[in-house]
Amino acid sequence: MGNLRDKYCIVGVGETEYSRNSGRTTRAMAVEAIKKAMNDAGLGPKDVDGMMSYQQNDSTPSLIVGPDLGIRLNFWVDMVGGGSSTEALIGLAMGAIEVGMCRTVALFRSMNGYTEVRIGGTGARAAAPVRGQELATRPYGMTSAGQVFAPTFMRHMHDYGTSSAQVAHVKVAHSKHASQNPKALYKERVTVEDVLNSRWIVKPLRLLDCCVETDNATCLVVTSAERARDLRQRPIYLMGVAGRVSKPRTDFPWAHGPLSRVAGYYAKDIVFPMAGIGPEDVDLTGSYDAFTFTTLLQLEEYGFCKKGEGGAYVSSGIIELAGKRPNNTSGGHLCEAYTHGMNLVIENVRQLRGLADDYCPGWAEGKHSYDYSPGKCRQVKDAEIAMNLGWSTPATGSALILRR
Amino acid sequence: MATVEYRGMNLIVPENDSEWREYLKAAREHRLVMRRCAACGLLRHPPNHACPWCADLRWSWQEVSGRGTIHSYEIVVQAIQPGFREWAPYPVVVVELDEQRGQPTPDEGLRMIANLVKPDFTPEWEDNVAIGKRVRVLFQDLAPEIALPQFTLTDEPAEGRTWRLT
Repeated sequence: MGNLRDKYCIVGVGETEYSRNSGRTTRAMAVEAIKKAMNDAGLGPKDVDGMMSYQQNDSTPSLIVGPDLGIRLNFWVDMVGGGSSTEALIGLAMGAIEVGMCRTVALFRSMNGYTEVRIGGTGARAAAPVRGQELATRPYGMTSAGQVFAPTFMRHMHDYGTSSAQVAHVKVAHSKHASQNPKALYKERVTVEDVLNSRWIVKPLRLLDCCVETDNATCLVVTSAERARDLRQRPIYLMGVAGRVSKPRTDFPWAHGPLSRVAGYYAKDIVFPMAGIGPEDVDLTGSYDAFTFTTLLQLEEYGFCKKGEGGAYVSSGIIELAGKRPNNTSGGHLCEAYTHGMNLVIENVRQLRGLADDYCPGWAEGKHSYDYSPGKCRQVKDAEIAMNLGWSTPATGSALILRR
Repeated sequence: MATVEYRGMNLIVPENDSEWREYLKAAREHRLVMRRCAACGLLRHPPNHACPWCADLRWSWQEVSGRGTIHSYEIVVQAIQPGFREWAPYPVVVVELDEQRGQPTPDEGLRMIANLVKPDFTPEWEDNVAIGKRVRVLFQDLAPEIALPQFTLTDEPAEGRTWRLT
């Protein structure tokens, strides 16, 4: 990004209710989330002229949703993708604005991820014909994200002695955060024992190691720092971005090891130099938690702890709200909702504004108690720099560094 | 087009898909084959049309021993595909073949995904699955031109210390 650092901002965020029964189309949800993000930024239909989304043949495209809101588009793109698309599209939005194709981009993801297309690969996905590259895995009963990713964490346990109890702390921490988040689907705090007593899905993963599939739409609005100054919210500046950085052999990631290495190994060398900071400068993280271990592996790979010490790091309390560098303060994908990454960036934007929408009566004015007991505050005190670590697979990830 | 139903899934191999058609046909002849680059000589899996290391487009099929070591694994307890439910819990293994280990870089190897099965093609007992154990290929015949390579445990001593999730 070089000279683009701090030249672009996230100026609006919005989301629908996180539920398992939206009873609505992805079109209806997208419109609501975008409208809320526009309102948040103080933008009207004439102020937005770019639109981006990502989907897996499970959503409604920009050219339908934009006109629904009276927006005439100068640029739109609907990308195929899931996790790690959020950060990548933010980078592409900056580029589209920088070259003059448009001025302000609304970036959305709308998915009935529970009631229509289960991300876990059940239903119609499980019954789809198997051909081409899929013949290398699916005939062996390896279909869902959990099944595709599990050997990566199993190898990490082998290589470094990481334990199920250690990684369970990711769920424990995120559940504590969710108990301070009125929007979270799972607000109940859980213990390490709860995680270890939950049923097996695909060993080494148990039910509570897996995220919560939901119906939702989410939206972020990106524009130039120059325009951002006149808008409703304090601008959140984009310092660095890395999009869909990949390990070798994404066609068959098991071919290239170490298996326990993930894409952040490569992404960190792009995003940190661009932002001009290092991991020690980051106040809070949003490490993608499709599963407990995806958070752990990425925190290691980006250098928040040494490679192999992720188990000790996530179980030390550091990633909790009262800790040195909290992770996924909304409860993340494990507890708030599974959104393919959007809610993790939205949360960091709210944190940097000082406007985490917790149970503090004065949160909307930035008045927080910093009491992190259940049903209270989830604002990180004096948060200045936040980072998102997006995950697609062990082999592909994105990263984003934000500041207030 | 070759097609077969296996555990409720339709496996489809179109005529123009030479890489998978020939691979699965060789498996039906109980030969495990890999593509070998005509330029650098490295083997690769799954079959594709260019060398992942030197990008050369020329290749030939090469039969490999089908012997290797379990590099990682998982035990699927909750099956996704309905046809696998009666099969669960079943192991999925990452097998590193003996050929080309640690080549062309120490982090690489000729690795495959398969199930670890007993010789009758039922899933191996979970307690018998461990990283470091030695395996050999078996071929599960499905149709006149399609067989699935699978792996089964051998009597060879394990490589160093074995490890399994406990």
